[in-house]
Amino acid sequence: MYLVTFQFAFTSFFQQRGGGDALSPDQNKPHLRWCSSEFHKLLKKIQGIPPLADYLQLELTVVYNVCLCSTAQSQFSEAELLLTQATERVLQMTGDAPVASDPPVFWRTVINSVGDTALNPCVLYLLCLQWAIWLSTCQLKIIQECQLFSVFETLSTGVWDEGRSELREKSSDIPLLVMDPRRLIELLQICTIIAQGAESLSEGRSSEALSGLQTASSLPAPRTLIAYTHLLSGSCLAHMSCPQMALQCYRKALETDSRCVCALYQSMLIYRQLGNTQAEIQGLRLLHSTLMLPFATEPALADTRLLSPSLLLRSQSLSSLLSVPSALSVLHNLALKCVHHGRVSDGVEYYLDLLAVLHSEDQHGVHAEGPPLPSLPELYLQAGAALLMARRPADCMALCDEVITTTLELLPEKVVLAEPEEKCEAETRALCAEGDDRVAMLLWAGAAYLLQGHCHTQLKDWKQAVTHYTRCFNLLVKARFKKGSNADMVGKQGTDLCILQKLKGLSLAGRGISFTQTDQLREALRDLQLSMQAFPECVSAGLWCGEVLWRLGRRWEAAACWEKTWSFTPQFSVESLSVYLQEPQSGPLLDSSELRRRIQELGPPLSA
Amino acid sequence: MVPSCVNNRFKTCSVLPHIITRIISHLVYSVNSVSSVTYAVSLFFFFGAAAMEGRCAVETWAVGLSGTSCTPRVKFGLGTDVFFCTGSDEVYVFSTQERKLTAVLQFPDPVSDLVGSHDKQLLYVACRSGVYCVSLQFQLSRAPSSPADASSSLAELKIPSEFLVVAEEGVLSVLLVGSVFLTLSQTDTSWMLTLYKSSNYEMLSSFSLPLVSGVVHSDTEGQTAMRKRPVLICVHSNDATPPSSSEATLTDGHVRLESVLFKLLFGIDAALAKSPVILCGLPDGCLCFLPLRHPGSRLRVLRSLEQPVVFVGASVVMERGPGHAQCLVAVGELGKVVLIKTDKGGSEGGGNRTGFIEGCVPGPVMCGCVDKNCLYYSTGSDLLVLDLSEGLSRREGQEKDEETSRKTEAALRSPTSLNVCRVAALAEPTCNTAGEVQLLGLSVRGQLQRITLPAGREDARLSKEPSALVGRSVRDLLSAIGDVCERASVLKTAIKSKNQILRHLNQVLNISFLLIASASSEEHLPIQEKPIRCHGVTSWSRLLQKDSLNLTCVLDNPSPYILERGWTLSVAVFPLSYPPSAGGESSSTNFSFPFHNLHPGETLEVSLPLAAAGEASFPMTVSCSLIFSLASLLGEEAANLPGLQSSCISLPLNTLTVDWLHVLQVNSPIATHKKATSQSNNTTDTLQAFLRSRRIRCSGRGEGGGESASKPEREYSASIRVSSELLRDTLLLKSSDLDAHVQKWPPQNVGLSLLEWMLSEGPGGVTTGHQGDKIALSSSVVHAQGPDGHTVKLTAKEVNVEEGSAEKEESQTAVEVQVESSSIAAVCGLHHAVLRRVQTLLQRAPEKAASTKGVQSLGLRQVLQRAEHLLQQIQQSRISGAFGVGVSTGQMTRSLLSVYRELRENPLLIV
Repeated sequence: MYLVTFQFAFTSFFQQRGGGDALSPDQNKPHLRWCSSEFHKLLKKIQGIPPLADYLQLELTVVYNVCLCSTAQSQFSEAELLLTQATERVLQMTGDAPVASDPPVFWRTVINSVGDTALNPCVLYLLCLQWAIWLSTCQLKIIQECQLFSVFETLSTGVWDEGRSELREKSSDIPLLVMDPRRLIELLQICTIIAQGAESLSEGRSSEALSGLQTASSLPAPRTLIAYTHLLSGSCLAHMSCPQMALQCYRKALETDSRCVCALYQSMLIYRQLGNTQAEIQGLRLLHSTLMLPFATEPALADTRLLSPSLLLRSQSLSSLLSVPSALSVLHNLALKCVHHGRVSDGVEYYLDLLAVLHSEDQHGVHAEGPPLPSLPELYLQAGAALLMARRPADCMALCDEVITTTLELLPEKVVLAEPEEKCEAETRALCAEGDDRVAMLLWAGAAYLLQGHCHTQLKDWKQAVTHYTRCFNLLVKARFKKGSNADMVGKQGTDLCILQKLKGLSLAGRGISFTQTDQLREALRDLQLSMQAFPECVSAGLWCGEVLWRLGRRWEAAACWEKTWSFTPQFSVESLSVYLQEPQSGPLLDSSELRRRIQELGPPLSA
Repeated sequence: MVPSCVNNRFKTCSVLPHIITRIISHLVYSVNSVSSVTYAVSLFFFFGAAAMEGRCAVETWAVGLSGTSCTPRVKFGLGTDVFFCTGSDEVYVFSTQERKLTAVLQFPDPVSDLVGSHDKQLLYVACRSGVYCVSLQFQLSRAPSSPADASSSLAELKIPSEFLVVAEEGVLSVLLVGSVFLTLSQTDTSWMLTLYKSSNYEMLSSFSLPLVSGVVHSDTEGQTAMRKRPVLICVHSNDATPPSSSEATLTDGHVRLESVLFKLLFGIDAALAKSPVILCGLPDGCLCFLPLRHPGSRLRVLRSLEQPVVFVGASVVMERGPGHAQCLVAVGELGKVVLIKTDKGGSEGGGNRTGFIEGCVPGPVMCGCVDKNCLYYSTGSDLLVLDLSEGLSRREGQEKDEETSRKTEAALRSPTSLNVCRVAALAEPTCNTAGEVQLLGLSVRGQLQRITLPAGREDARLSKEPSALVGRSVRDLLSAIGDVCERASVLKTAIKSKNQILRHLNQVLNISFLLIASASSEEHLPIQEKPIRCHGVTSWSRLLQKDSLNLTCVLDNPSPYILERGWTLSVAVFPLSYPPSAGGESSSTNFSFPFHNLHPGETLEVSLPLAAAGEASFPMTVSCSLIFSLASLLGEEAANLPGLQSSCISLPLNTLTVDWLHVLQVNSPIATHKKATSQSNNTTDTLQAFLRSRRIRCSGRGEGGGESASKPEREYSASIRVSSELLRDTLLLKSSDLDAHVQKWPPQNVGLSLLEWMLSEGPGGVTTGHQGDKIALSSSVVHAQGPDGHTVKLTAKEVNVEEGSAEKEESQTAVEVQVESSSIAAVCGLHHAVLRRVQTLLQRAPEKAASTKGVQSLGLRQVLQRAEHLLQQIQQSRISGAFGVGVSTGQMTRSLLSVYRELRENPLLIV
């Protein structure tokens, strides 16, 4: 009687699956839910009688199906409860006393109590499901304690499936399973290895993880999962400082599964670590173009579709290893890298691409993991700086205009720069946030004026250049230091104060240089000296200051100024500062060798 | 054995307070609206002339079917068309040119929102099951034109489900921004804003914002409650170039905001990206925004109104600009008005800052709209206009912030009435050629109205009126007073009827609590303790030569409350067990008797047929309950509360059981004779008797009961032994209680008196009403006829129960009641009935010292052993039955029957 109902529920499950191959997983969900509830009803009927050996096999099969459906719907606690109930009934039947709740002991007792009867495979199926639940809920320790691998290794060699197929030939009454347990074990094995690998990798036990992962790569499994094993091996090797071998592994991962973007990303990171800029840029470009591809949906993996690998691999450490930044963020990185490493024209193109994407109507605030993009004005300024480097001053000016017009109306009359320690007092936090915003806007507008000044310098329109540098400087003086902020704040990297000082220095230097071109040497000297005060490491200011002094006939001072400037070692690396805060290479230049020659002609300095 | 339906009734009762709350909140709401109207009336008399200027022309254009599931919506559509939906599943298309309804679109589910796309002539309609996209032109061309007159006919179109483009359930609002189609829906814990590509409806991304539960809670209690629609608009910055030149004029739901305010509110990034910003006003009070085209943007809260947001719009307010909105306006349901504008920086820091001005207007706000500098809103009872510029422009000269904000609040608090009531939805205002402001409104009853405001309202108020116009204005004034009076009197009657309802409701509540309290506190109270109860009398009647059993149910109301109109006595009759031939379904019959007024102390007597002879199976359970229909309480108003139509309060009273003893027709010697003769006269009866006897004999043979071969009619029997001591105690006690029975029961007549007692009255409130007088039993053997026509014999005799051989002195007398009949059903039924009676006897028995403790110990063990053996037999047959293997059903039945008989034949002594 039960068999009939069972067959009905089962066949309808498969009919739907067979006919519904075109269905997306989402559309399949209600069907799964329906099947699950049917199986549940069936189970309730079967469990209405006392556990008898003859019917228990059927019951356990139904339990397997029910639990699999529940697990596939992420109802883990429910599935676990069913498993416990079922095993308790098994124990009841065999007459063994219920045992401790310690899972390994418990399951061993259950398997022993069943012995070598026909029930043995059924109980093992249930253990498989328990394994799946543990894996999904990231309880890797229990899996290890149970030594599940060894349990199933001894059995997977065909003892039970022979028995099963034999049985099936004998009668059609033997209940069917919604998922072949052998497939399930294969899937569980590789997923467990991957999860454990990720776990030990995040705990720093790389070599331990590596051996497991390398054996797993030869297991029968879907391509995606094999690619994961290669990828994780690569990460282990990278941790063990074997970058070349790691790169090999990433390559293998990509060969196995071409959509394993993460491998591409990780190898890019390795190139970055190795300092191989060309390869890094290449990697970024590949990564970007891969990310832009319309991704085909996960192909239907014949039997694993009910229990997808993504359901089993939910550990935090793995997902953090697999995360990839968004396409836009990659594009921005690429552009920045190009600009920093002398491929300005490429960089400009990437920047323009980026801005175009941001302005296109198809862009709709897609969520992305990883570092967020810098804010739009920042991007505009970076792109502007890149354009300036590529000698496209008109385009740069247009971008800066854009920034200026947006921010101008919102600029504060004056703003107070506070120290970061003071900023985060609880009661003033809201106020601070608003203040921060205003400071940032002030700095953006200032930088935009600075860039415009640079543009005019490049065009040799000295008057305009002076105007824009002055505007920049006038904006910057609206910001006041809070009393008590000490001088070493200025040196700190990345703070608003640092940027402010740098901007001041650069604008004054720019104005000074412009004045030298119009032969207003006195103004030039004042500005250049002020610039060196505001920002001592400014090379062009130092050189030009010497030049002005030379022209004014103060040759010894000029020589000292030049010597001092050459002695500066740049404190910041090129990449640590925003592109638009770097000294322009496009203005009027002084030839260092010419200057040295002049010093030599001057003879040795008079000792005081 | 407790009928499950009784439990269900209790469940229904627990819903009661919930429903009552809803009714009361409904009543309070209407009383509120009444008071706001009286407020308006007083305002009218105070500001007589000023209010007079606000009178406006209302022109009703069309009437749609009014629905209740969603807030109504009216929108300007393609060209001269107007779309409106009234909360039902229909969308109406009204042509302003032809001044008539041109189409009715019927959707499968109630419509919650709609939006039109201008360029493609598409209409997007959000229903409960998803969003439909309809091409109007295509639909209209396809519509079958009526044969009479194609031009004047109204196209009625049923929209099939293949027009469903987004299958997202529970979409509350939709918006179209360029090529993006947005839906806003509510899940249990959050709001979901989902973006779709409008070309292929591919989902782009989705954003969620947690629900603020405090505010929403009050109106999400029922699925059927009217769902509030969140406000969804799109804000563009004024310096952002429009996507295409054709869209220079903004479509519905889009506003263009002055750029400084835009930047202040939504950030530099949104302004630089020239991204439109989606602004949502949610029913939980949140005003949140989402820059549409910014990577990594998320829904952020701009402000919380702490009351459902009803309207969000943008207004120019100050005439300085070239017509770009300077100010965002948000209006909450309880009247909170928030103006968001740019504050020119003054004192510290300088620069522009966002300024929020909050004010409050009276009354619940149902809908609103805004034009250049006025906010129009409807409270349901009146349409009011609020001049926003008044409060804001005055700020210019002011110095101190506090003072100005106080003044603005004062300005916000004095709206001007327009004297148009029952407006439920408003479309954006337009100006006609004469400079008059025209509003398009939808009334609560589904009427589409055009409301024309008088031109130059502002100026007229300030300037003196010319004397020639005074006469006219007095006439207007008088007619306006007439209007208001009429409205006031209507409202007064409404209040009166509501008071009546509340009084009625109070009675209902009293009765409900009385019954619920007695039901829950002491379930096992004797029947007399129930405050309102039923009892029944069974009687046989013979009509058209057919015997039928009637039950007279008497409802007694000893409580101090009146059962008023709306109560119904419901009696459900169903057999306790049912024959397998009935298909496993318990056949229950329901009778309901609505009644008008049952005053305290009165009784209501209803009579209902239980069964014709031989049809029903006894014992029957009669469960009585009182049902109160809420719909009858509210009368006409119930239509406004959709969930109420089917909701009833059901209060269980008590459950009566009519068993075999009640339905026995006792054959007194004379009656038997009479019956016998009458039967012999009737050929069909004899034939049936013959057939019956044949059948029994056959089955008897099949059974193979050896000892009954000679007397087939007395085949089955069951017996019950009751200790006579117990009987004496209880029956004597009873008789001494009652004055009517003066004579002492002779001790030897215990059996007879037991029989008499069993036949005359029963436990649980059902008595046997024999026609004529009480039957005098002559002997302790009673012959009777069961409801199925079988004769049964009841014997009560005293026997000595022997307890083994050892202790003779312990033997005691008992009365053995033996039931014998040829029908097994009769034996079972009677056995059950007798047992029930004895049970009540036992309950009544006084506590006794445990003198008979050791009694029957030997017999008890034997009996227990036997019972255990029988239990095993039963289990065995159940298991084999469950698997359907081994034994045939016939075999199983036989074995079960034998077990049953064995159980019945050897009774334990009841002491």
